[in-house]
Amino acid sequence: MSAIATRYTLLWGAAIVGLAILGVYTYLANLQLERTEFITGYSLFALMIALALFNARKKLAMVPLIRSAYWLAIHVVGGAAAVILFFIHTGSIWPTGGYEQALALVFYLVSVSGIVGYAIQRVNPRRLVQTDLEIIYERIPAELAEIREKAEAEILACTEGTGSDTLARHYMETLSWYFRRPRFILNNVFGGKAVEHWLRLQYRTVNRYLNDNEREYLDRINDLAEMKAKIDVHYACQGMMKGWLLVHLPLAAAVLGLMFWHVIVVNVYAL
Amino acid sequence: MALPEFASIDADSFPKHTPLDGILRNDTRIVRYSPGDIVVREGDYGNSAFLVVSGNLRVVISPALPRNLIGRQLSERKNIFQALAQLWTNRTVPEVRDTSRYGGQSVRDGAQAETDARVFLQDIPAVLDDHQTAQLGPSTLFGELAALGRVARTATIFAEEEAELLEIRWQGLRELRKYDQTWRKTIDDRYRENALKVHLKSSPYFSGLGEEELNEVADATLFESHGSFEWHVSYKRMRDQGKADKEPIIAREGEYPDGLLMIRAGFARVSIKMGNGERTLTYLGAGDSFGYDELWAGHQGRDISLQTSLKAVGYVDLLRVPAPILEKYVFNKIGHQAASPLHHLATRTVSQDAPLEWAVEQRFVNGTKAMLIDLNRCVRCDDCVRACASTHGGNPRFIRHGRTFDHWMVANACMHCADPVCMIGCPTGAVHRSLETGAVVINDDTCIGCGTCANSCPYNNIRLVEISDIAGKMVRDPDSQKPIMKATKCDLCETNPGGPSCVRACPHDALQRVTFQDDETFGATS
Repeated sequence: MSAIATRYTLLWGAAIVGLAILGVYTYLANLQLERTEFITGYSLFALMIALALFNARKKLAMVPLIRSAYWLAIHVVGGAAAVILFFIHTGSIWPTGGYEQALALVFYLVSVSGIVGYAIQRVNPRRLVQTDLEIIYERIPAELAEIREKAEAEILACTEGTGSDTLARHYMETLSWYFRRPRFILNNVFGGKAVEHWLRLQYRTVNRYLNDNEREYLDRINDLAEMKAKIDVHYACQGMMKGWLLVHLPLAAAVLGLMFWHVIVVNVYAL
Repeated sequence: MALPEFASIDADSFPKHTPLDGILRNDTRIVRYSPGDIVVREGDYGNSAFLVVSGNLRVVISPALPRNLIGRQLSERKNIFQALAQLWTNRTVPEVRDTSRYGGQSVRDGAQAETDARVFLQDIPAVLDDHQTAQLGPSTLFGELAALGRVARTATIFAEEEAELLEIRWQGLRELRKYDQTWRKTIDDRYRENALKVHLKSSPYFSGLGEEELNEVADATLFESHGSFEWHVSYKRMRDQGKADKEPIIAREGEYPDGLLMIRAGFARVSIKMGNGERTLTYLGAGDSFGYDELWAGHQGRDISLQTSLKAVGYVDLLRVPAPILEKYVFNKIGHQAASPLHHLATRTVSQDAPLEWAVEQRFVNGTKAMLIDLNRCVRCDDCVRACASTHGGNPRFIRHGRTFDHWMVANACMHCADPVCMIGCPTGAVHRSLETGAVVINDDTCIGCGTCANSCPYNNIRLVEISDIAGKMVRDPDSQKPIMKATKCDLCETNPGGPSCVRACPHDALQRVTFQDDETFGATS
């Protein structure tokens, strides 16, 4: 078993044991007519704080705290345990009070965004590797601009070299749209092949009107278009890997805020 | 030519394409040193030998000079509070330096060029009082073993008075050794005397031999070097143009072995013919040997030629121990003990070996702490980059980009090479190996920003940066008003507790610092 698998196995085991102990303890407390929601509530509160500390760890990279990979494992397993603990705490899927419903909604949203984010982080790196290209996200606009300039230079050279404006017209009418900015983003997000289909279609469409000299230019433009297609995949997939955090983190902050107020309110009015 | 060492050379023994006066003109120069100037530093790598023309020098025998005196960095590991304090002490302006610190070490400006700058000892009498030294007078040759063998200098030598030295580049030294009997004898005798026996003793084949036997082995051993010291030049060309130079063949598959080849420095590729190409089975580095199995088979009465080829990857320095010597002292005493790299063929497929082929071709095998990123796991979050920046004053010491193969990327971070090309030619010895960790580090105090290391690094992993003072103002040269530059690179977070922060910061276990020789993906067999 790899070190990563061992780590997750141990953590899942610890989470199951922890939840089982809490469950038994809560059951026994319930038999003695104690307020079990305080036990589960404070456990959930502590767990949520622990989960939030992962972000703080990232800011303290210069300090020899436990490796970030362990923190992520704790965050993933702890997050799943928090969902189960949430159900134990509320005793239902959807609580009754208005404030509690708002809290539950945000909690569900942060949980779902976490699960989606985890899935994205497992799937997208492999999809990026399959493009046979590696590019830093922040450099994508500059790369696209360079490709566009090269494509336009080819068009100009074609017009000057062959005396025909067929390819230039096609570029102005159709291809310039593609080269202008990242395209087929949603399709790329879901791993579709729309761009390949579109590029083949454009190639075939214009190819019949070109002579051999012009076709050489078209082939080079097609190469550039294929390169851009790979960069577009990076734009979509890397964008998604960065973007999901913009959903998850504000929601996590919101759930923490709502949770704090919930604890105060419960302690003031329910005791 | 007036020097006795050259006057006695028979110029006719040199071929027309490499005449003696050509060697002297192209590969030597007169260098003048002032009292206290350090000529060579213990631990440095250099590609020159020196012949004392006039004046006296001192070689420090023991104890070694304190590291700060010879331009090294005195790196102290931060405690946890100092590490945490970086959270608020890091400035918004990157590469801030406390410039008041820079006067602490004695660097003399170069007379003609920045690269002639050198560190000097201010108090020679104190050094002579506190350290055992020996005098080197005119006609003394030193530094030739480090220059030819690509190994670290073993002692520090400084000028005791005004001195004039003839610096001989390794190319010139190699030609002199090749074509002149006297030079060859001097250099070889010296190597036999100073280093060879130690090297043989450390080998499993000869460790059990007595002094006399070892002397006989040493006397019979031949020295060879293959490839070019300046392999980084052709390597950079290969990276830019995608076309590799032919690797010099040291031993060819199918030929009969005449001796055991023991690698002293550099790397060599062990390959076998496959289709119309060559398949790499493994690679050898310092301390490894080649040809043992075939020689053993010959000893057993089986007539076996070399089963594999050996080629220099860049530069290789090796010893050839003749077969009769091996017969006499090894086979009859300790018998067979090596494992053939051919067993590899039975256990691994071509696909499995593709990463190994790539790592050897790209010369990443030189790295001892290369930053290897598994792109199948990397989510491109740049936590590693931010962690690096936060431990290095706000500016990361690497770029999360580099050569890729399948889902592996070797990022542009210093690999802390086994053969550190960057350390050759640093005029002040600012680039050096840390005694504590073995990492290649740069002493910011003595770095003069000449860029020699950055230009030499074959992997483009050293960056020159403009620095700012504590007030955030760019530091400029008072005369030229040009910004002062400093070389920066990954230092494996030497001064930070907990090891490289990039590894610790990666949430997905995607980033590791690896020695390719130990990595199973890249052909490690154990």
